[in-house]
Amino acid sequence: MSNPSVITHDVIVVGAGLAGTWAAMIAGEQGVDVGVISKVHPLRSHSGAAQGGIAAALGNVRPVPNTGPDGPLEQVPPDAEPYDSWELHMFDTIKGSDWLGDQDAIEIMVKDAIEIVYEYEHMGCVFSRTPDGRVAQRRFGGHSTPRACYSADWTGHVLLHTIHEQALKHGVRFYSEWYALDVIVEDNVCKGIVALDILTGQVVLMRAKAVMFATGGYGRAWKITSNALANTGDGVAIAYNAGVPLMDMEFVQFHPTGVYGHGILLSEACRGEGGYLLNSKGERFMERYAPGKMELAPRDLVSRSEQTEIDEGRGVGPDKQGIWLDLRHLGREKILERLPQVREIALNFSGVDVIDELAPIQPTAHYSMGGIPATVDGQVIADAQSTPVVGLYAAGECACISVHGANRLGTNSLLDASVFGRRAGYAMAAFVKGGARLQPVESDVVARNEARLARLMSDAPAGQGESWSRIAAELKSTMTDNAGIFRDDARLRQALSDIRRLQERFQGVRIMDHSRRFNTDLLGALETEHLLTFSEVVVVSALARTESRGAHYRTDYAKRDDEHWLKHTMAHKSPDGPVLSFKDVNINWEKYPPQERKY
Amino acid sequence: MSDNGSPLTITVRIQRFNPDVDRKPYLQDFKVTWQQGMTILDALHTIKAEQDGSLTFRRSCRHAICGSCAMNINGRNMLVCEQPIKAHLNRKNEITIRPLPYLPIIKDLVVDRTTFWAQYMRVKPWLIPPENVPEKEFRMSPEEVAALQDAEHCIMCGACYSACTVVGTTKEYIGPHALLKAFLRVMDVRDSAPGERLAEIAGSDGVYRCHTIFNCIDACPKHLNPTKAIETLRKLAQKRLAFEAARAERQKHLDKPVTSG
Repeated sequence: MSNPSVITHDVIVVGAGLAGTWAAMIAGEQGVDVGVISKVHPLRSHSGAAQGGIAAALGNVRPVPNTGPDGPLEQVPPDAEPYDSWELHMFDTIKGSDWLGDQDAIEIMVKDAIEIVYEYEHMGCVFSRTPDGRVAQRRFGGHSTPRACYSADWTGHVLLHTIHEQALKHGVRFYSEWYALDVIVEDNVCKGIVALDILTGQVVLMRAKAVMFATGGYGRAWKITSNALANTGDGVAIAYNAGVPLMDMEFVQFHPTGVYGHGILLSEACRGEGGYLLNSKGERFMERYAPGKMELAPRDLVSRSEQTEIDEGRGVGPDKQGIWLDLRHLGREKILERLPQVREIALNFSGVDVIDELAPIQPTAHYSMGGIPATVDGQVIADAQSTPVVGLYAAGECACISVHGANRLGTNSLLDASVFGRRAGYAMAAFVKGGARLQPVESDVVARNEARLARLMSDAPAGQGESWSRIAAELKSTMTDNAGIFRDDARLRQALSDIRRLQERFQGVRIMDHSRRFNTDLLGALETEHLLTFSEVVVVSALARTESRGAHYRTDYAKRDDEHWLKHTMAHKSPDGPVLSFKDVNINWEKYPPQERKY
Repeated sequence: MSDNGSPLTITVRIQRFNPDVDRKPYLQDFKVTWQQGMTILDALHTIKAEQDGSLTFRRSCRHAICGSCAMNINGRNMLVCEQPIKAHLNRKNEITIRPLPYLPIIKDLVVDRTTFWAQYMRVKPWLIPPENVPEKEFRMSPEEVAALQDAEHCIMCGACYSACTVVGTTKEYIGPHALLKAFLRVMDVRDSAPGERLAEIAGSDGVYRCHTIFNCIDACPKHLNPTKAIETLRKLAQKRLAFEAARAERQKHLDKPVTSG
């Protein structure tokens, strides 16, 4: 038997959600040898929790003529004028991004959208349908047409299962329940990763010609979040520790309708299908904030509106920190047909039946617009000059290809993960077939990671031995209070000093479980270390950005400042904390110049 | 608070087993103070954080969509993330948590699902589309979609598989989860190999092995009905050739608008 602690593939993908699995499937189809590691079974990936839809300008559905843009929907007759276009999708996305999205990347995403939805359909995805058998579409916040292709409110689940099945068909090798510890980047060349086989506790060197990070989002740094317990930002933290910069980390989206007290998502499809938001006085308060779009304004705007109502004393629930979501007028039939999962979640976690009761909701940390900077082919870049990190790729929520800019529109994340996962798959296959070689690994990276684990597992010296769970809880408190929906200089400085104090305390963390086999105590500690790592970057980036744009809202700088801030934040690791540099946003000044964002 | 206003202490009895050090599984009691809205998963997290970090279980989404946290509670399989613990306490305020039955234990509440996934692979879970793929979507009627929705909603949590007494006696049986996936593909008008699929599952390890005990329906956290799917597959297997011919006929029109009934 060969040495079992070294594994080699042409391509190693970290993460098996939509982005990672698309990339693996495509590379596999192209004849490249692919291994995918995932810390959960691939079908447990958080892409599967997405509910509402995937955006594509298919133009299958339109409002009934003469009923206005908010009128009831019908299928577009075969001979009618096209009702949607990629150009419209592009403009909506640019506007939603508050002009921080890179327009070249957005153009690729919205054009590929149409093809990718048909591709999903051809691979067996069970979309909801129009009466004549086309893919059905519905409204979503910030989109000017009914553009969300959906499968009831299970869209992510259906897409994830479909693409996973295809990857299996193409012979992709999955390492289920393996955890990435480190990525080996030397002189801007990626040589592989170090991973932990969770089952055995063995640390393994995984060498590859190309490595892709598709590790998803990092909402777990906040107390109330829609994110799975697994979404701890491991990928972004690992990349950052290896010298890769992180881009636009200050932009974290809060979704307007998390289950009160839990943060579990009630899909935006609730509002897309016609749901209302009400304050404690029973007012549809969105008419004060976005009279043209009401509840279908983009998420940053709706979340801020809710928080304003709550802060001004018009919240609901025992501690007045909630808002009502009203679906009652949709009727039983529509709720059961289009929002069955929403009904079930509200029943289980709030004890209310949305068919005839109001559901208490609150804003919940949801999506991370920032991440590992990458080109439209998933190529990770090392600096503001776009120097490539050879052999390193990223896509999905952990990446920042900057199609969402300062605020993502609903249904654009399944799209982003699919489109750029696929493109990264093609790019990696071309890279491997173009003669890429395995690079010699000379560093002591395995020993370094063994030492990291050994410290956490060693018996605590006197006066030490803190639990990681307490540190994680304190981090979440400060991030929620000080780096949440509303921010200012003083609060962000408080968060930064809290994080640095917690980072010091983390040095004394010791775990209780000293066995190698399936050690989830160890994983919890490693995840907490990652949370502390990227949270510092979020806060330092937010402190620097003295303006309000999209999801980043500074009460002390309440205006968008295009003169100084039409640029991306890049944060590099240094011994003294993140060092920032900036990169211009790609804007087509002729076609899509910045304008005021009104809804 | 309990009904009389004092904090309610509950006993969480958990089956422990680390094969590296334990000779056999044993039950261990933990005391937890009940909080309003506490789920079984919340109690497991509390114990792990505050009492014993070595307590091992799987979980991820915590709202019943990822399928990680299926376990056996007081003898019944369920997803512990969506279950309020109070609903499962006995008169002495006790609850017993065990790993899914019939599967080898990796550690504590984590089981080895190797056979579960091997059976899933056996039914070739991917769609086998017809050769002529349209430029746009295959046309399917809302009714044809509705026929698939239940099977499509399976999250592969394994609650049904490990509740099945046939699985308990033979791991050769394909199992309710994989047969439900087979049903999804057989019934999909876009699939062009329903005959092959029916042949595969009509063997002695397939649909005829089901004893129709309905444990899978009882266990399914998504309220799906694998037994009914298995019964449908049995019937279709008996008229496989006619079904194949009907599918071939339907597939001649997959690029044409459907008329919805």
